[in-house]
Amino acid sequence: MRVTEELLAAYADGELDAAGQAEVEAAIAADPELGGKIKAHRALKATLAGHYAPIAQEAVPPGLAALLATPAQESGAGAGEVVSLAAARQKRGLPAAFRRWAPLAGPALAASLILAIVQPWQGGTPEGYAGGDLAAALDTQLAATQADQTGTRILLSFARENGDLCRAWRSTDSGGIACRDDTGWKIERQIALGKAQGTEFRQAGSETDLLAAAQDMAAGEALDAVGERAARARGWKQP
Amino acid sequence: MKRTSPSVSSAERHGTLPQSFENQVLDLLPRLRRFAIGLAGSRPDGDDLCQMTIERALARREQWQEGTRLDSWMYRIMRNIFIDEARATSRRRETFVDPDAGQSVGGDGAQEAAVELSLVDRAMARLPEEQREAVLLVMVEGWSYKEAAEIVGCPVGTLNSRLVRGRDALMAMLEDAECA
Repeated sequence: MRVTEELLAAYADGELDAAGQAEVEAAIAADPELGGKIKAHRALKATLAGHYAPIAQEAVPPGLAALLATPAQESGAGAGEVVSLAAARQKRGLPAAFRRWAPLAGPALAASLILAIVQPWQGGTPEGYAGGDLAAALDTQLAATQADQTGTRILLSFARENGDLCRAWRSTDSGGIACRDDTGWKIERQIALGKAQGTEFRQAGSETDLLAAAQDMAAGEALDAVGERAARARGWKQP
Repeated sequence: MKRTSPSVSSAERHGTLPQSFENQVLDLLPRLRRFAIGLAGSRPDGDDLCQMTIERALARREQWQEGTRLDSWMYRIMRNIFIDEARATSRRRETFVDPDAGQSVGGDGAQEAAVELSLVDRAMARLPEEQREAVLLVMVEGWSYKEAAEIVGCPVGTLNSRLVRGRDALMAMLEDAECA
C-alpha cells in the first residue's frame, strides 16, 4: 500500500484504529525513512505545545474575566452567592504558586469539591495501587497534550523528594495523586469531586486543593511537556 | 482542607443556575486565550479575539445546549470570528501579527529560548489561517481530528490535509531559520 503523508500524520497523532496502525507500522518496517517522518511530526508537536503552554498559565486579563461577572441583582435567590464567589475568585486571583502550576493542569482549574475519602480501588491490583483505566491513563496520557475529554484527565506530573514521579489526575467524580514505584502507581491522595461538569454549578477549589497537595509533595517544578514525554518514555522510572 | 461553601448547597437546592454558564466559560478562558493568541499571533490581538468570542457567546448562550460540550462550542465561535475578521481585512498580516510578539513570550528565559520562541511565532504567522488553525487545534490544543474538523466545520480528511500542509510548511521554515 501507499502510505500518504496524511496517513502518517494520523498515525503519529494516534488517530488510527488497530488495523490502520498495523498497516502503517508494516510500512515503517519496510521503509525506515517513514519512521523519521513520524519522529519529526511528534517533535514539532512537542515544540508547539511547549511554545504555547505558558499562555494558559498566565492569569487571565481582568478585563476578560470581568465580561463574565454577572450583576447579582439580575438573577434569582441563591445566585448572588455564586456570583460573589466567582467575583472573589477573580479579585483574588490564584496564589502565585498556583499560577505556576495551573498551566500544566490544563483547562480544568475548577470543579466542585466534596472532601471525602473514596473507597480503596477495587479489582486485581494490589491494595492502594491504581488499576485498570486509571493505571492506563497514568501510564500513557500527557497533561500537556490531551484534549479536555471525559474520563480520566492527567492534571500534571512532578517528581517528589525521593525522586519518584507522581501524577495528579481527575475524572468526573474523583481525583488524586499517584506516585510510581516498582509495583505500580501507588495512590497517595484521593478525593471525591462533586457534581460532574455540565449542568450544575462548579465551585473553584477542588482541583486547586489537588494542585496544592501536589505542590506540597513536589521537589521542584511540575514537568513541562518535554519532561513529561521523556518521563513517559522511561516508563515513569526515575531518571 | 475545609472549603465547604454555603453557595454549593444553595446552588443545589435551586437546581438550575443562570451563572453556571459564565463560570464555565471563565474556567475555559486560559485555554481559549492560548488558542486566540496562537491564531492572532500576539497577545493584544489574541485578547481582542477572546473578548469578541466571550461577547458573542454571551449573546448566543441560548444556542448552546446544556449537556453538549461548551469548550468545542466556544472554540468554534472563536475560530469563526477569527476567520471572518481575517477575511474582512486585507491588511490582516499587519494588524494581527506583531513581528516582535515572540520576544516577550520567554519571560525570564534565556535569550536563546526567546529567539527560538519568536521563530515559532513568525513561522506560524506565515501560515494560511486554515492551516494555522488546524495545527493549533490538533498539535497545541489536543483535539482529535474529528473534533477539530467539527470545530472548523470541514470534513476530517480536509482537516488532516491542512494539518499536513501546515506542518510541512512550519518544519521547512524552522529548518531554514536554523540554517540562517
